[in-house]
Amino acid sequence: MSLMTDKPRLRSAAWRISFLATIAFACGTLVIFVFLHQFVSNDIQRRSDAWLSGEVGVLGDVAGRTPRNALYRRVVGEIAELAAREVPNKSASAGSDNNSVFFLLTSADGLPQLWVGAGDGQSNLEAIKTTKFVPDKPTDVRVQGFPVPFRVACLQMGDGSHIYLGLSERDELRVLGKMRVRFLLLWLLVVLLGFGIVFLTTRRMLSHVRKITEAASKIGLSDLSERVPATHRNDEVSQLAHTLNRMLDRIESSMHQLHTITDALAHDLRSPLTAIRGKLEMSLAAMNGEETAEPIVSAIEELDQLTDFLNKSLDVAEARADALRLTVTEINLSRLLETMVDLYEPSMTEKGLHIRLSNEKGIIVLGDEGLVHRMIANLLDNELKHLVPPSTVSISLRSRDETADMVFEDDGNGFDPDVLEHLFIRRVKGKTSAGHGLGLAFADAVARAHGGTVEVVNRDVGGGRIAVSMPLAREKMRHQLVATAQAG
Amino acid sequence: MRLLLVEDEIDIQGFLGRSLQEAGYEVEVAPDAKTAEQLAVESRFDILVVDLGLPDRDGISLILRLRELGLKAPVLILSARRSVDDRVRGLEQGGDDYLTKPFALAELLARLRNLLKRNNPQPSEATRLRVLDLELDLLRREATRGGQTLQLTQQEFVLLEYLCRNAGRVVTRSMILDQVWGMRIQPDTNVVDVHIYRLRGKVDGAGQQPLIRTMRGVGYVFNDR
Repeated sequence: MSLMTDKPRLRSAAWRISFLATIAFACGTLVIFVFLHQFVSNDIQRRSDAWLSGEVGVLGDVAGRTPRNALYRRVVGEIAELAAREVPNKSASAGSDNNSVFFLLTSADGLPQLWVGAGDGQSNLEAIKTTKFVPDKPTDVRVQGFPVPFRVACLQMGDGSHIYLGLSERDELRVLGKMRVRFLLLWLLVVLLGFGIVFLTTRRMLSHVRKITEAASKIGLSDLSERVPATHRNDEVSQLAHTLNRMLDRIESSMHQLHTITDALAHDLRSPLTAIRGKLEMSLAAMNGEETAEPIVSAIEELDQLTDFLNKSLDVAEARADALRLTVTEINLSRLLETMVDLYEPSMTEKGLHIRLSNEKGIIVLGDEGLVHRMIANLLDNELKHLVPPSTVSISLRSRDETADMVFEDDGNGFDPDVLEHLFIRRVKGKTSAGHGLGLAFADAVARAHGGTVEVVNRDVGGGRIAVSMPLAREKMRHQLVATAQAG
Repeated sequence: MRLLLVEDEIDIQGFLGRSLQEAGYEVEVAPDAKTAEQLAVESRFDILVVDLGLPDRDGISLILRLRELGLKAPVLILSARRSVDDRVRGLEQGGDDYLTKPFALAELLARLRNLLKRNNPQPSEATRLRVLDLELDLLRREATRGGQTLQLTQQEFVLLEYLCRNAGRVVTRSMILDQVWGMRIQPDTNVVDVHIYRLRGKVDGAGQQPLIRTMRGVGYVFNDR
């Protein structure tokens, strides 16, 4: 079920990557636009300024050459009107009521002499009076009653009078405004499209990574024949898949070699053991319960112990190499422990030992039934063999988060401190202990093969404590919760 | 009952052949897959015992080949390997059985009997079992000996039932653990013996003929004579 929880994480990675990429993209395009905007607006202003300077020059020339008589007003006025019609950047809508241009002639003492433009020009004059002009350089003038400023060029005539030619920046701003709106729409579209493309691409790529993760996590310790899915494209993800698969090939081949060795060893030892055991059984049958049969009986028993030792040794060896082969089924650990305690209780009682079980119901793990049975039997055999009566063995089984915790506690003498450190190493056993010293190493090996742990300590109050922890069969747990909820 | 034993190890061939003959089987021995195929085609067998490690061919492919040739008889697979092949699991599901070497002869015989019984199912299961003066009522889970009701726990009843069903035959400790407790374990302590000892205390009263007999080094026999 860890696969299910991995999914949103990868999805959010796709979100994060596309979010960051989009922000970077949006900022980049925005900066480019600002530059472009600046450039265009400067260019428009430069053209307007060039026109203003040219026109004011023409007007000045005309005004200077026209005698100051009754016609003066008409001639200069018409020239100004004509100039106004050639306004650059002029939009069509502004055609009819032309208030985008004005012409003003002031006398040397600043009184208005000639006005061409919308209105009476009073407010324009006011604004011009408060503005300081640099010759040949048009300047921005804000006029009361007009929302946009005028660009005004000024020319001083020989007689001290001034000619002012003003051009509203309205059209210029309108062009820029339109440009901004269009850019914004286009920008939004491109950013959304970019986000979509990046998101889809990332998600596709990450979904491939997820498939690899899923496949890789399915390739358990026991089954190495599976491979992660690889595409034919030669990108990083497929390289990752290929690398993983090559690594799995190598692991599988060494695993295979190990299995071949242990199988060959098992086979070569088991065949003669079978023959010996068979012959011993036959001679035993022929003796028909005579006293002299005793050596044969003990030979058979020792042979069985030898077989058990061989099996355990190979299991421990394989488990240490993470190569133990499991046949996984659902195991009801609660029921198994009850049966085990039923099985061992008479022998314990016979020896003067007590056994107590505190069991949480319905705890299910996924595991190899044979190995888990043998592991628990081993731990109980250990208690039965080493505990000195009168002692009590307390077994408890609890589920905690994602593990089933099985604890064997006794109030005996505990473990020999010298060997406590090395209990899981094969053949380490207490001086007083009988057996092969494989018991705990075997339990540890089985727990490890199932993704669990074994912890052995001496209790503060005396006695030993063995805690076996194995991962719960999680989906099963969910079924149970549902069932209990329904029952309740 | 005609039995075909396919096994290449001379030592195992020898004792197994003799033991099976003593158990009442008419045994033919094939040392390799080729001979086995020939024998199986030529004559009809009721049951086969096949070792997986044959010199000329894998035991599984031999079984699959024989099945192709129309063999219906059940097969008991013997193996000295550590891991159980998926194909073996397939055969197990198909009704065949599997036994790891080394094994107790009693267990081999019990498995052969089970395989034969599975292939020829008895029409109806009895609700009462009777061995000498011991009687088990399987429906009411009650046991009486000589008319006296025995005070047995549920577990003891199951154990007694298993022994009665195999009366006159040897059952090993592993067989008892497997059949009564459902566990394939090999405890190196006396857990089974103590259960038998307790049961014996309830079944074999003072002055009565002992029914549960210990066969040292082998297992137990429930007397039926």
